[in-house]
Amino acid sequence: MKVGLVKLKDLKQVALVVLVLGLLAIPLAAYAEKPTSIKFVIGNWAPPVLQSFFEKFEKETGIKVEVDDYEFRNLLDIIEVRQKAKDETVDLFFVDAPLVPSYAVRGFMKALDGDFTEQEIGATWPEAAVGVGYWDGTLWAPPINNSSQVLFYNKELFKEAGLAYPSVEVEKRWTWKQVVEAAKKIVDPDRGIWGFSFDQVNRYYQLQALPESAGGGSGVGKDGLSVKGYLTNDGWIKAFTFYHDLYERWKVSPRGPGPVELPPMFGAGKIGLFVGGLWNIPDFVEAGVDFAVAPHPYFADGVPATPANSWHIGVWSHSQKPEAAVELLRYLTMDPEVSIYWLEKHGQFPSDYAALDYIMEEPDYAEQPWIAYRIAAYEAAHTAVIRARTPAFLEFEEILLDTFEDIRNGADPKASLQIAESRIERAMARYQF
Amino acid sequence: MTERQARYRAAYLFICPIIALLVIFRLYPVASAFWESLYQLQFQGRVMEKIYVGLRNFQDLWGEPIFWKSLWVTLKFNLIVNPLQIGLALILALLLNLHKNVRTIYMLPLGVSLPIASIIWRIILDPNQGIANGLLKLVGITPQPFFTSADQALWSVIIIATWKGLAFWMIFLVAGLQNIPSTCYEAARIDGANLWQEVVHISIPLLRRIILFVLVVDTSVNFVLFAPMYIITRGGPTFSTNVLMYEAYRSGFTYQDWGRAMAIAIILLVIVLVIVGIQFKAFQTREY
Repeated sequence: MKVGLVKLKDLKQVALVVLVLGLLAIPLAAYAEKPTSIKFVIGNWAPPVLQSFFEKFEKETGIKVEVDDYEFRNLLDIIEVRQKAKDETVDLFFVDAPLVPSYAVRGFMKALDGDFTEQEIGATWPEAAVGVGYWDGTLWAPPINNSSQVLFYNKELFKEAGLAYPSVEVEKRWTWKQVVEAAKKIVDPDRGIWGFSFDQVNRYYQLQALPESAGGGSGVGKDGLSVKGYLTNDGWIKAFTFYHDLYERWKVSPRGPGPVELPPMFGAGKIGLFVGGLWNIPDFVEAGVDFAVAPHPYFADGVPATPANSWHIGVWSHSQKPEAAVELLRYLTMDPEVSIYWLEKHGQFPSDYAALDYIMEEPDYAEQPWIAYRIAAYEAAHTAVIRARTPAFLEFEEILLDTFEDIRNGADPKASLQIAESRIERAMARYQF
Repeated sequence: MTERQARYRAAYLFICPIIALLVIFRLYPVASAFWESLYQLQFQGRVMEKIYVGLRNFQDLWGEPIFWKSLWVTLKFNLIVNPLQIGLALILALLLNLHKNVRTIYMLPLGVSLPIASIIWRIILDPNQGIANGLLKLVGITPQPFFTSADQALWSVIIIATWKGLAFWMIFLVAGLQNIPSTCYEAARIDGANLWQEVVHISIPLLRRIILFVLVVDTSVNFVLFAPMYIITRGGPTFSTNVLMYEAYRSGFTYQDWGRAMAIAIILLVIVLVIVGIQFKAFQTREY
């Protein structure tokens, strides 16, 4: 009996030792396999915002975030080139919202279905913000930002021209006709003053709101694989005849400067009316221009339509450290500290409920020009149009960029859109599956 | 083995490394490009597959107005820029051979990379805020649209390419001029030749080999030049600066249409080979 008891005691001790060792081994093994760094390919505007969060992430997880940052246009090219080279050094990358279908079908990203629960997704983002991160029922890339556009106006130039300010109320938003009439009174080529300009003047992101407002739709058929008849319908022709006339007929908008040069021109008091992104507000405040904001204009016989969506994050398909990549992705996209910091310090419109609630509660956002964020929250829920859903979006957007630039430089809108239609059709033919 | 055979063997051994490099870095990419031009990327069962299509990429190009427009722009660009660059480089080389102390000024563009030069020129020729239009206004000339006009954009690119390339080609011509024995000029002067006659009857004929080299390399370089188009005009307005190389670049890197991109590259290669062949033929009529 005594022997038996001793044996039992020994057995318990052995079991205890095994259990303790086992419990110790799990984290040790995990630690041994845990990567020390991950590579994040991002836009060159993001490092100043995200650096402190990368450092915090490193402190908490021991994983250093290495960054390769590129200017917008180069970023898209680099993603293509590095994917073609099957680059295994990249773990995470910035995904422009409309490119989710393209990257998903071409195998650029890892599916994230198992990494987020439906409850988490529903509690973190409104459907309009996270919906574009899905393709074919699968979540590929959750959003880190959202976007919207408002009408900025230079109060001093308005006073000089004897014009009344546009209303801040969405029900009383200006029509495009009112914008043109005001711009005609403001424009003064001898002083280098322009009446009106778009911010991202040749990009589909910004200009899609024109045909959408004119009833022309997104430009792509429902299957996402055809543009025949969609780019040359009455709404598109009307929208881009208006765009053409801004430069050619009324001469109220400047040819030449692109999305990089135009916001500083408004900041320098050289443009009277400017439809642009909210991210410009901190820069305009810093530049000292006397300005205010109003809701995005629309065609009087159409409906209000506003641009939306922004950057998402995807896990690189060739990543050798996908678990660590998902860990960082969850932190950056789900922690409201990140989105509120980005909003407060850099004026980026957020995609998550927590930051949207913050905008509605903070009293600063009831005053000009910060009220733009409350206007944007309204637009996101009521007038936002998502960009065309097509796996050929990259080709679609690039070809349209050239087309818009041609129309801006005086080419016939209808003929230019017809050429674009045939070019995009060829590009889309490759995706017929 | 005879002594002659041994010498040949040694010679072949010496040229082997360079032949190997040529095969790896020149001939293999050309063969690979031709091979790729016979394929197209297509989705098959939701996976991107490389499908053999024979010469369909070439046939498709044949029916594309944009291809023909790009071909015309490429030829027009080269028909203007090559004679312009070489002609001006030759004039400058002849002048600099006489006035050696101002060479540095002409060499300055060499120190600026083409992408940087393109950005600088884009700022100078900006239709609204550019220095060029500021100067034109000062002398009472209407501001010009430059890169935003389909009529002026290609000429603006030609100015940039010429400004950038001039000094480079001039170096070869100056070196060639300095290799001409001074006795040739002395003999001509004794015979009563003036400066113009010296240039036409001595300098240019004796520079023939150098000019051929410059012509061939300049043609090859300019047929594939697309940095200013990529940076400044994106091939526009209305395809007026859309050279074939830029169209190939966009097909491949932007639209992932590699078959089409390679087909354009192969056509471009054939065009360059034909033109270089003609240049060799034209300059081989007389040997000095």
